[in-house]
Amino acid sequence: MQKPAQLKIVNRFGATRFLPLGKSVFTIGRKAENDLQLLSDTVSRQHAEIVYEDDAYYLVDIGSKRGTFVNDQRVERCALQHLDRVRIGGDEDQQITFLDNTVERASAIFDSHPRLTLTPPLQDRDRITSANEELQKLSRYIEVNQAFKFSLTPDDVLLLIVDAAIEITGAERGFLMLRNQAGDLEFKIARDNNRNSLVGNVFEMSRSVVEESFKQNRSVIINDSRESAALFARESVRSLDLRSIACIPLRRFQMSENMDATTMLKRDVIGVLYVDSHVVGGTLTQTSLRLLESLAFEATKSLENVRLMHEEQEEKQIEQELGMARQVQVALSPTAFKQPDHFEVAADNIPSRYVGGDFYELIPLKDGRSVFALGDVSGKGVAAALLAAMAQGALQAQFVSNLPLTEVITSLNKALVQRSASNRFITLFCAVLDRDGHFTYINAGHNLPILARTTGETEMLTTKSVLLGAFDFVEYKPRQTRLAPGDVVVMYTDGVTEAVNADNQMFGDERLERLVKQSVSLSAEQIKQRILDEVLSFTRGLPQGDDITLIVLKMK
Amino acid sequence: MEIHIRTTGSVTILDLSGNLIIGRSEESLRETVKQLIAEERRFFLINLAEVPTIDSSGIGAMIKSFTSVKEANGKLKVLKPSRMAQQLLTITGLLSVLEIFDDESAAISSF
Repeated sequence: MQKPAQLKIVNRFGATRFLPLGKSVFTIGRKAENDLQLLSDTVSRQHAEIVYEDDAYYLVDIGSKRGTFVNDQRVERCALQHLDRVRIGGDEDQQITFLDNTVERASAIFDSHPRLTLTPPLQDRDRITSANEELQKLSRYIEVNQAFKFSLTPDDVLLLIVDAAIEITGAERGFLMLRNQAGDLEFKIARDNNRNSLVGNVFEMSRSVVEESFKQNRSVIINDSRESAALFARESVRSLDLRSIACIPLRRFQMSENMDATTMLKRDVIGVLYVDSHVVGGTLTQTSLRLLESLAFEATKSLENVRLMHEEQEEKQIEQELGMARQVQVALSPTAFKQPDHFEVAADNIPSRYVGGDFYELIPLKDGRSVFALGDVSGKGVAAALLAAMAQGALQAQFVSNLPLTEVITSLNKALVQRSASNRFITLFCAVLDRDGHFTYINAGHNLPILARTTGETEMLTTKSVLLGAFDFVEYKPRQTRLAPGDVVVMYTDGVTEAVNADNQMFGDERLERLVKQSVSLSAEQIKQRILDEVLSFTRGLPQGDDITLIVLKMK
Repeated sequence: MEIHIRTTGSVTILDLSGNLIIGRSEESLRETVKQLIAEERRFFLINLAEVPTIDSSGIGAMIKSFTSVKEANGKLKVLKPSRMAQQLLTITGLLSVLEIFDDESAAISSF
């Protein structure tokens, strides 16, 4: 046996491994001693063997309960041929393929895991009616329009929406169901609160809540199912022991000239967004309901965007979306900051096409100190924006109640780690400026702010601290420096330095550093404007890929 | 992104190829590590040599994987990050937590 044949094993997430059949008897089963261990319940502890005899490999069932299959035929003993598909019991999680030794391993990756690819353009738009095709259109729309650096498939977009819904409500599971051609609801997305997809086509859930929401075209929210039991007495709410449920209809709407808001709302329901949880307690507040509704709106809007593009209303739509994104972002930005007498500050946040997770906060404290915070929540969309808002709120509250910088950051980190189910992180630069120019900062995984001194020196402000929300065991230690009159600190998010031009080049840290260095004599407002202008002229013609957020501080 | 799984001694090496970014690819890394932990694997080396780009979700998947392995009393280390990935790991402060290697055999013998 010079060069053994091998098994190619692909799990349901597409991870591939190769196991050489380098023994005369290769065992398969649920027990750990087997050469190939499969954890499925449908696999017997000692299930099958691959035996090498007379230059050939035989798959032999050794008395398994659920059988051994080659190319879907049940076998007792079967000579394996190159590319035969092997199934052990009912284990569908692993795709096992036999590769014989005449085939090079490289060429054996014949059907490797598909990458995130986008569907080809659709030809006949009148034909397109099903929800699935709507999603393909969305995919194409995103490919054409999106300012993201990477392509997303339609399912990924809907995944993000469901994850956001779970995150907003603190629910345990979330589903997105769409109406099929027959008018019935089908599961499109099923997720848990660890951002994993739930497997299956049918899930136990409150049918009556879904029905109520879908048929009556209204949001249903239940905080303690025992209280609302009368409403849904017939049904599974109680038997499932679900305590909190929210279900929001996805309403079809069409933005066109001759339609006003009321016609829009009367349009039919194309699906529902549903979240539930076994946990009691007012997690599903009126606020989260409103946020859920805006998510549902986001979902339908995404689906509908595609249609609009086909109707060549692209520009108008982008304007509308930008308008919405701005509304959200404006609501999150700090209120006007009264310019104090010892420094000037200019700040801006330019959201990209999708609402992002950049935020900044300027907090004047009673004792004359001032707090500057600039952060970026991983991911995009409403959920990121929400977490940004939460972080802002936490910073506000804790600084105002006079907690020191280290404590504020440490407790924010702990709070984020405890929400680890959300799997979201924040990079944050946070600094406190005393009246005498004493500048104390922590940089938790954020792009390094540039300190440009009137002497011509520049310094990058780092404390090498880990981004927030990752590990609860890390310590956040501040550093200090002293700012002299005329010194400038530029804090920014990666939307600035990672802005990409038509040649796929990035704006870059060096370019920004140079620019800041040249601009030290300008006012804070002028420096901010100059950076924004430079980024704009650098990327000319290309859509903005990420939120751009900037704080410029200049000592007087 | 594709993940190829190899084993050297007690170390499981995940050769990643393609971008580690938001969507299926980061989910695939998290889930594969989780599954391997269930199969009693404890020592992981994530080979990033063929990963040109990592975004914040990819970083999230690395953090999540690191944490799951740590909770199972194992170790997760990183091999050959690209220049861009290395930069990202530096900025995000993860270099202070994650062990990074440029040489595979050195990485393996470090476990």
